[in-house]
Amino acid sequence: MASSATESEFVTLVSGDGFEFVIPRSAACVSGTIRRMLEPSSKFAEALTGRCTLENISGIVLEKVCEYFCYNEKNKNQSNVPDMEIPAELCLELLMAADYLDT
Amino acid sequence: MANRRQTRNQIRGPHSALTDFLASNNISAVQIREDYRRRLEETEHQATSEEPSGTTENGENEDSIDESLGQRKKRKRKETASLAKVKQSKEFAHRKSRRIGEPENDDNLNTREMMYQRSRPKPGQLDNCEVCGKRFTVTPYSKTGPSGGLLCAKCSRSLDDDGKRPNAKKRGPRIGRRQNQSNLLDGISQQGALSLAEMCTKKVADNINDIEEFGDLPTPLLHRLSQILSKRRAMTPRTLNLFLRPDLDSINIYDSAKLETGDFQKIFTFMPTLTDVNLRFAGQMKNEVVEYLLRRDLRLRHLQLDAANLVSDSHWRLLFEKLGPQLETLKLSNLDFSLDDETIETMCRNCTNLRRLKLKQCWKVGHGSLQAFSSLTLLEHLSLDLVRETENDNILEVISTVGPRLYTLSLEGFPNADNCLLETIHDKCRFLSKLRLSGNIVCTDEGFAKLFTEWENPPLEYVDFSSTRDVDSLNPDGPGDAIGLASDGLIALMDHSGPAIRKLNISSCRHVSRAAFEEIFSESKVYPNLKELDVSFHTVMDDYLVGRILQCCPIIKKLVAFACFNVRDVRIPVGVALIGGLKAQDTVVVEGKF
Repeated sequence: MASSATESEFVTLVSGDGFEFVIPRSAACVSGTIRRMLEPSSKFAEALTGRCTLENISGIVLEKVCEYFCYNEKNKNQSNVPDMEIPAELCLELLMAADYLDT
Repeated sequence: MANRRQTRNQIRGPHSALTDFLASNNISAVQIREDYRRRLEETEHQATSEEPSGTTENGENEDSIDESLGQRKKRKRKETASLAKVKQSKEFAHRKSRRIGEPENDDNLNTREMMYQRSRPKPGQLDNCEVCGKRFTVTPYSKTGPSGGLLCAKCSRSLDDDGKRPNAKKRGPRIGRRQNQSNLLDGISQQGALSLAEMCTKKVADNINDIEEFGDLPTPLLHRLSQILSKRRAMTPRTLNLFLRPDLDSINIYDSAKLETGDFQKIFTFMPTLTDVNLRFAGQMKNEVVEYLLRRDLRLRHLQLDAANLVSDSHWRLLFEKLGPQLETLKLSNLDFSLDDETIETMCRNCTNLRRLKLKQCWKVGHGSLQAFSSLTLLEHLSLDLVRETENDNILEVISTVGPRLYTLSLEGFPNADNCLLETIHDKCRFLSKLRLSGNIVCTDEGFAKLFTEWENPPLEYVDFSSTRDVDSLNPDGPGDAIGLASDGLIALMDHSGPAIRKLNISSCRHVSRAAFEEIFSESKVYPNLKELDVSFHTVMDDYLVGRILQCCPIIKKLVAFACFNVRDVRIPVGVALIGGLKAQDTVVVEGKF
């Protein structure tokens, strides 16, 4: 089971307060941090199970992060990409998360 | 006409500004008032009699109630006369021809219809909306409703709504192209979305006034925020507070123009561990601030101040005497009031550990300062942009003494330095990676060629020889022996630095021939690191050469080509910004590399 998870197309991101987000692996790997967590050669628990627990990110913020991952995937190789909507009250937390995730 | 004459002879009481304005637009206030009164009476009349009387649709019947026989006759006569008139008009013929397919082609009905349509209110007048019944001012844009009456602005809009949607969408790409061009000028030709961090940083900057504190935001993000806020000129005393964090050792404010003495002092109070201070546009920085800074006993190592013109020479000297030995970087720019040669001498005497020195547009720095620079024995980066003219010998002496350890040498404002300068650089410098000599009008092509032939210095990474040329209106073709970097010099430069060069600026080097460009960018040549190239004002540049450049420089990101009039329909690969093309459309990005 563990070996099949490394190949799977989707990965699970878990927020600090227990929310789970299942998103395409390619989209999640936009984040340098998550990419390194999931690197098969690393033999990290995350890489083996395909499940990343991000303790310091809340569910609300992680939801927005996942939205960005998909938005980024959708707009790959396009010019004139419209900016994503970011609620003002979330932007500082999201910025911290973005810095942590290296996106 | 009679009416107008009458008003002219009248003695008029005081008019309101509105009345005057309306009168100037041929709208009579009296008329409006009377209309209003009439409307009120009408509605009253309606209310009392409970008798509905359509005002617009069946105006013919409405009047007939209290019409005497004679009046009716008169009216009938009038109507036939105007009907005849309408029949003769051009529009009538036009309408008739349109209706030819219809059965019962009744001319009379047609004319009647036109006549009543004509009596519709003209723009500027009031009418009742056909759909919602509200009263509104008729404009040329008022739409006709389903049964011929006019519609108010709101109803006109909702009538349009279905048809207009695709039109609104059409505007999108045009705005996008504008944004694209704006980004291109900034050298941004990125594909895909911005990074999340960048997007959030912008959002934070948008909402800066709602933010209480940044928390423990890391330094690089703070730096970026400071840049964005400074660019928007939003760095106010309030915003500054967000950046004052005692745990950080650096502060970068690119626009300090709104900060005053107290704010500057606050920086040094709240951040006792500061080692790196960068304050630009510090126009309100006074002697007091320098005194305070010196009292705080900070361990400053890097100091950059821009436009601090309220600081006097005596305080600059105090600063150098106190902080001198610990300073490793000193960058001063745009000082037109102080910092004279004597102060620079004090600086050189005290700042013995200086590694990086940059003086840009300091008006009082002259040859006395140049002599003093020779004592800075640890200097690794030297950038000078002088306003005063200086003797050639002085700069030669500086290069001879500090040259052997220099990694960066940037000389602007030395228009009269001659080939000896290039020779000295050739003889002394061994570690240069960045070399700039711009605006020089004496050094010859031969000198540049010699500089790069058998030079022991490793290949350069940043090279800027822009505007090295002779400008003489009496001799528009230039001198016989090329002045400034020209064909031979450029070939020698690329031979020497080609493998490492990352950024090259040769704009306005007017004597580079097409053959030289063809040789430099021929099939066999590759410049694997060249990212930015400025070839502005090279009139020999054309589509073919740009194509060659794009092929020889696999990672080029930015090609500046202002006033290259022969660059017309060049195909630009994705991710490359061509700046300064003749037409905006020319820089449309083409998919894929060739």
